[in-house]
Amino acid sequence: MLRYIIKRLLMLIPVLLGVSIIVFLIMRVFSPDPAPIVLGQHATQQAADAWRQVNGLNDPIYLQYYHYLKGALTGDLGTSYYTKLPVVKEIMSRFPATIELAFVAIILASFFGIVIGVISAVKKNSIFDNAGMFIALIGVSMPIFWLGILLIILFSGALHWLPSNGRINPLLAPAHITGFFLIDSLIAGNMDSFFDALKHIILPASALAMYSMAIITRMTRSSMLDTLQQDFIRTARAKGVPEGKVIRKHALRNGLIPIVTVIGLQLGSLLGGAVLTETVFSWPGIGAYTVECILKSDFPVVQGVVLLVATIYVLMNLIVDVIYAFLDPRIKYSKKEV
Amino acid sequence: MRKVKRIMALALSATLVLVSLTGCGSSSTSSSASSSSSKGSDTLVYAQGAEPRGLDPALVDDGESAKVMSNIYEGLLKYDKDSTKVEPSLATSWDVSPDGLSYTFHLRKGVKFQDGTDFNADAVKVNIDRQLPPKVTQDMAYASFVFGSVKDVQVVDPNTVKINLTSPSTPFLKNLAMIMAAPMISPKALKDNNNNVNQQPVGTGPYKFVKWDKDQDIVLVANDQYWGTKPLIKNVVFKFIKDNSARVVALNNGEADVIDGIDATVVKQITDAGNKIFQAPGMNINYMAYNTSRKPFNDKNLRTAISQAVNVPEMVKSLYKGYSEPATSIMPNFMEGYDKSISQVAYDPQAAAKTLKAAGLTTVHMITYTNPRPYNTATGQVLAEAIQGYLSKVGVTVKIDSYDWTTYKQKVKEGDYDIAFYGWVGDNGDPDNFMNLLSDPDPTMNIALYNNPQFNDLIKKGVATPAGDARNAIYTQLEKIAAADAVWLPVSHAQTLCAYRPNVQNFYFHMTGITPFVGVSKK
Repeated sequence: MLRYIIKRLLMLIPVLLGVSIIVFLIMRVFSPDPAPIVLGQHATQQAADAWRQVNGLNDPIYLQYYHYLKGALTGDLGTSYYTKLPVVKEIMSRFPATIELAFVAIILASFFGIVIGVISAVKKNSIFDNAGMFIALIGVSMPIFWLGILLIILFSGALHWLPSNGRINPLLAPAHITGFFLIDSLIAGNMDSFFDALKHIILPASALAMYSMAIITRMTRSSMLDTLQQDFIRTARAKGVPEGKVIRKHALRNGLIPIVTVIGLQLGSLLGGAVLTETVFSWPGIGAYTVECILKSDFPVVQGVVLLVATIYVLMNLIVDVIYAFLDPRIKYSKKEV
Repeated sequence: MRKVKRIMALALSATLVLVSLTGCGSSSTSSSASSSSSKGSDTLVYAQGAEPRGLDPALVDDGESAKVMSNIYEGLLKYDKDSTKVEPSLATSWDVSPDGLSYTFHLRKGVKFQDGTDFNADAVKVNIDRQLPPKVTQDMAYASFVFGSVKDVQVVDPNTVKINLTSPSTPFLKNLAMIMAAPMISPKALKDNNNNVNQQPVGTGPYKFVKWDKDQDIVLVANDQYWGTKPLIKNVVFKFIKDNSARVVALNNGEADVIDGIDATVVKQITDAGNKIFQAPGMNINYMAYNTSRKPFNDKNLRTAISQAVNVPEMVKSLYKGYSEPATSIMPNFMEGYDKSISQVAYDPQAAAKTLKAAGLTTVHMITYTNPRPYNTATGQVLAEAIQGYLSKVGVTVKIDSYDWTTYKQKVKEGDYDIAFYGWVGDNGDPDNFMNLLSDPDPTMNIALYNNPQFNDLIKKGVATPAGDARNAIYTQLEKIAAADAVWLPVSHAQTLCAYRPNVQNFYFHMTGITPFVGVSKK
């Protein structure tokens, strides 16, 4: 197992190299020149040239990449052209918001997705099944920003139950320890902050969860239907195992592998930042910020974020594979078995 | 399986214990936090559409930063509330030498920066010197605009500072009231923060910086040591809500007290909810420019004919729904140098058709931009299409090429167009700042590529003439030359629309794009 994990981690190196080369080239070939954007409307041609020189943009592209790679290996991703702050700092000040939102959303999505999926499979072709699949269809088809705006209009605009934007009332924000407001407010023991943060996260997390929930519901249903056809289920029933236990212990556990895969991949993509949700709810995460930086040709930030997201994606895949082994003891990643 | 159950039970109970423990400790901290809830009258929440770039006036150039900085910093001078005339601020008075080359400022005594250090002549010198050669860096966006004419700064005594210029420059005084480059920063803060206070601003203004949560908000608190009229509201929160409709919901829902960046389509929704609209005059111009450097529009008569074909007031009303003023001049009417006698080519489609037919002009190539701009919320493309409609009525077919803003600027630079669209947002409220666009050698500034020696000479004269009626007359004359030559078709001056809750008192948005909160209160 350990060997397998190490092997997979080593595979990260070529993946990240490839990703960094691609994003580096794309930004430099297709993005407009950052100098006029950074220097503003009064910038002269000479100032722009001087700025490009200082920032190494006049060097040949392989040299630029070499300097970038050298920095990246020592953990220095450069500084943002636009704000002049270190890229690592810019990313880390936004990443906790993305993680917090992604985790709350994936928890909501997994819980409702698995519950609806299992019931739909067990009560196949019933009204509940049809209703569940209808919800799933809406979930995959509805544009997320539209759902977000509807939620805001209903729960903030009309009912005034929940706030429409932001992570927390700034005057209640807890001291940054982990960067996750739900956890930081608990550490500080400040329940006002905790409930305020909770109120703020409900709408964006629900909007974000909708799509993932729909996918998880569908996957759970089809996986459960497959498993329920298997011989060992019939055997279990024939042995007189209660139906509830058959479903939970025998069918669900065996059907979990594709579900876990889907959840893992969904979480991976949510961690990459949910651009539309973040924009609609003014959620200060990494997704909307990256888009902004792409539009401003802020090369170092875009490169940094893409590297981070690629790493997360690869790691999520690895974690999912490792979880398989725990879910199904028949799966082994040792050399002997291969 | 049983093992898994046991682990889960353990984890659950551990969580419960943790929650109950932290719940016990909450009583002391929560009471202090809830007392400063944003719903109270001691906190004002201002929602803007984007995050400021930074809070160091020398290092930023964006309007979003300006709104926040105008509450933290002050300059030697400031603008009058309803115009761009300058008034004393950190300087109580000033003398200009007869040759217009030295400005002596008498500074306000007893003013302290928010970090407790003294404001004095040395501080003024530090602030200006960092934006002059050799210390100035390329990313100081406004350094050369504001201080480009400065030769050096001399400390006469702790309360007097003398600024020497390389050549007389009347706009210099207006520059000193700007929120970019000109405000005074604590020299200690500059030293402590490696000459970049983007994240740690320290000024002399009515509000102090508290914190900035990236992509969320900036919190300011009233400066108790402020030398002037004390602010009425204790906390000011600048929130960043990018989505326009979400910003409107936040206002109507009471999560924001004031919002900006709204357009005409949501005005009714806002007023129906009982909130108010503030219409600020705009220091900008939205225009169409003829390429005067080549055929066909090196011919003044053809430029005039095309301008005659467009009914500007009708078009502006339909495109901007009453939230832009049709332009009769290049400068907005609140600026010195504006005069009622200035007028543009009058609408006369018959005359236009006749001239164009005689000249055989049937096709025109326009380039335009697809993004909304501060001076043209409808986008350049919509404006170009409206003009295309008018020109089709006089027998001219228009070919429009549209580009996103960044690409568009490149296309303008290449200069391959008969007509192009642009606009300008004024920097310092001085007439030179608008009129010199037509004498600028840079093709991305002077997109009409207009080059009239008489005009250029008058521009030079205007810069050197001391403020007053004689100077204003020069700019009126410049406006008239540009109108007679039909170099541009001035279209409109966009207003800035803000909305606020009915319990907010004395809110205003200045035409230079700043929102001082010092006199604002909440019922």
